[in-house]
Amino acid sequence: MSGIAYYLTTILVYGGVDAIACLGLSQQFGIAGVTNFGFIIFQAAGAYVAGVLSLGSDKADGGFQMYVLGWHLPFPIPWLGAAAVGGLLALPFTFLVGRRLRGDFAAVGLLVTAVMFNLLVQNYQPLFNGAAGLSLVPAPLGGVLNSQSAAYQWGYGIGAVVLGLLVYLFLRRLTESPYGRTLRAMRDNDLVAESLGSNLRALRTSSLVIGGALAGLSGGVLVGFINLWDPQAWGYAETIVLFAAVIIGGLGNHKGAILGAILVPLGFEEASRFIPAIGRPGLIPALQWVAIGVLIVTFLWFRPQGIIPERRRILSRLLGAGADRPPVPVSVAAPVAAPVAAPVAAPVAAPVAAPVAAPVAAPVAAAAASSPVVPLRSTAGKGRGEHPAGGGAMVLEGFDLVRSFEGNRAVDGASLGFQEGHLTGLIGPNGAGKSTTLAMLAGTLPVTSGRIVLFGEDVTTVPAYRRARLGLVRTFQLASEFKKLTVLENLLVAIPGQKGSTFGGAVRGRRYWGRQERELLERAGSTLERFRLTAHADTLAGNLSGGQRRLVEIMRALMAEPKVLLLDEPMAGVHPQLAREIGEILLGLVADGMTIAMVEHELAIMDEFCDPVIVMAEGRVLAEGTMAALRQRSEVVEAYLVG
Amino acid sequence: MSTFIASIGYGLVASAVLALAAVGFTLQFAVTNVLNLAYGAVMIASAYLTYLVNSAGVNIWIAVVVAVATGSVLSVLLNRFVYTPFQRRGTSPIALVIVALGMTLIIEFVTQAIAGPTNVSYVMSQGATVGFGSFQLTVAQYVVLAISVVAMLGMHLLMTLTRLGKAMRATSANRNLARNCGIRTDRVITATWLITGGLCGLAGAVFAINSGSFGATSTDLFLVLLLAAVFVGGPGEAYGAMLGALVIGLATEVSASVIQPDYKTVVAALILLGMLAVRPTGIMGARA
Repeated sequence: MSGIAYYLTTILVYGGVDAIACLGLSQQFGIAGVTNFGFIIFQAAGAYVAGVLSLGSDKADGGFQMYVLGWHLPFPIPWLGAAAVGGLLALPFTFLVGRRLRGDFAAVGLLVTAVMFNLLVQNYQPLFNGAAGLSLVPAPLGGVLNSQSAAYQWGYGIGAVVLGLLVYLFLRRLTESPYGRTLRAMRDNDLVAESLGSNLRALRTSSLVIGGALAGLSGGVLVGFINLWDPQAWGYAETIVLFAAVIIGGLGNHKGAILGAILVPLGFEEASRFIPAIGRPGLIPALQWVAIGVLIVTFLWFRPQGIIPERRRILSRLLGAGADRPPVPVSVAAPVAAPVAAPVAAPVAAPVAAPVAAPVAAPVAAAAASSPVVPLRSTAGKGRGEHPAGGGAMVLEGFDLVRSFEGNRAVDGASLGFQEGHLTGLIGPNGAGKSTTLAMLAGTLPVTSGRIVLFGEDVTTVPAYRRARLGLVRTFQLASEFKKLTVLENLLVAIPGQKGSTFGGAVRGRRYWGRQERELLERAGSTLERFRLTAHADTLAGNLSGGQRRLVEIMRALMAEPKVLLLDEPMAGVHPQLAREIGEILLGLVADGMTIAMVEHELAIMDEFCDPVIVMAEGRVLAEGTMAALRQRSEVVEAYLVG
Repeated sequence: MSTFIASIGYGLVASAVLALAAVGFTLQFAVTNVLNLAYGAVMIASAYLTYLVNSAGVNIWIAVVVAVATGSVLSVLLNRFVYTPFQRRGTSPIALVIVALGMTLIIEFVTQAIAGPTNVSYVMSQGATVGFGSFQLTVAQYVVLAISVVAMLGMHLLMTLTRLGKAMRATSANRNLARNCGIRTDRVITATWLITGGLCGLAGAVFAINSGSFGATSTDLFLVLLLAAVFVGGPGEAYGAMLGALVIGLATEVSASVIQPDYKTVVAALILLGMLAVRPTGIMGARA
């Protein structure tokens, strides 16, 4: 075949291979935020497996190369095997992507792993034939078709490109599902995603597996075309090239990954063919590497979002579409408080909650679609006395909690409990250990010692996401919105039990989860209305004001359908009038049986809304009671109330 | 047995080189929270400039000063004009690691573009072989050991006795608090990069002396040993890095005599992965 045809088909194949690899990396890094600096070994492994599955026995060609398997399997089994092994190879790295390890440490671990594998391959001959690699890998269908013919070459090239497109469509299906939304939330803030019920390890592992499988597949496609497998070609620096591609193309969207694949690995390779060999030998390749480095650094500085930025998902246009339909009860949306509230709510709720309760807590469920505007309670709400003190059972308790940071005991033997159906306040001077206590109760920080009991069960060692699924949800003192998700997406991501939020559900597609999604959207929409943020439904949460972010956080926590809600300074930075309204909403929720604990420095808020109030100082619980009673106690006044 | 004892000797020399590198790396992480993966590249750039001076006729032990200066200047520039601006903008630690890898490519391959793809060697004498029994090292290797010991002692005195050392430790514990206590953290950080950069350059020259010949990408594998030493001791822990260097230096050289030399980096990588799995804060570290 002619030189130009050969050249074009080669470009098609490399383009397809690079696109598939970049798409895999884009899913891992751009969507899920998993920084896999060992990405190239997954491609290498896939290529090797495709090679040894299509090669015959290593004794056949006079035994000039050594390898395992040699099963001489027909196309497309070697490609499938490549993808499978690429995916399976991810599993041993699960230990690196749990929550406890910093992202950059995990990345270093994966980088080192890539170097290590390359060394092993190059030095261990029986398995991989050492540094020589594999050659004479049969072309797919080479037995039936003439792999040297122009038609075959064109077919291979077009096949690779079509495969790339299929991969793109598959990944888009994942990314645009609730599963994809959960991954993006984890990417933006993993600690918060976990506190809302996301199993970080499982989500990251699934991303490693998907990306690994695609990397493996791309390796399989490549090795079938070039018929060689050369370990030198899979150095760790090749991973950096792929990272450069997805960063330049644009993170968080798969079109960017394809563009990056065309510009960087393919573009650089091709461009260098046309550069005359000037200077000393090796000068041009060296400068190419320099250019890759410069591109990475300058893009991260001048255009970190890449050429094609992540798309903002406009979901509000779907709002209201289903408003005139009768609300369909969603299994997960069963009235939040129902089981807990039954015994308590009756006596307590009657006086306080009558006007509020229905529209407020159940909101979320049945009332949502039908009542467009929920009136906020306008009474001054001096109603705390109506709570019978010590009325409810303890739903969440901590015993002798201790947390040390490098020898400094931030919490030093604190014991406290929260009564069902109460809004408990937690006050104390800075450094009293309030936030740390909250974090230990929610499981976002492990205890140094002590015991935590939720609904009568010991949950001390239960991870945060499982506590969230049991109904224990917290908010954070520092801004914790998912920045690159819209406000509406921030709310949606918190809702438990979504059909499309698992990998399997996402694969089944919109037809499977779309109906539920519309219902959840209505719920999120009515919550937005109640907090008067409807106008910002499609605003990226990262672009909101500080006060608005606090509201998003509270709304998001409510969407998680908590039975016990821990709020860390929910009103800091919120307009006083709005703070009051939030307080009213919280009262409505506790009247319906939710248990809420709130860290807050504003004593007026405590006076008005919280009963009982727990005072902490120097890592211990100092006192507990109504604000009025606490003001009478000298040690409390000394510790906190002075001034 | 004799190869074992011999490997202890090589292990000590390897530890000496590693300690110079690891203490610098870990202190950079301590004060700026950056895993500076371009560290190996700066080592090589320093070693190469030293080569130019050395091949112009300067004795290698004097030319080492050039390595120290190069390492200092490059490191300060790297922090001042790359890492700090990115950090001020709120770039995440993980994105900074990618920036560091980008800088690695730039520094390494600019060096290669100038130096060419073939390895170079210093003009120097290894000196006579001295020792007892199978423990035999060259004079040059003893000098490397001595340089490292002196440098480690110097770092110890710096951190315990001087105001700068205390300020460094305060900055590493809590940069904002340190600034609020009146410590000029920007200056402390620059001073830290100046000093650790010097260690980095010195490590580069010593690495080149110890390995006989080197090229622009020679420290890629060394980086694995370096990271292993740092993580064994705990990132940010200077004394931990010294201990980690000893552990990794001995472990790799002894394993090289037992298994085969090609796998010594694999041994270090496995130790590093084990540390990440079990105790990512290191033997000496406590920060989560």
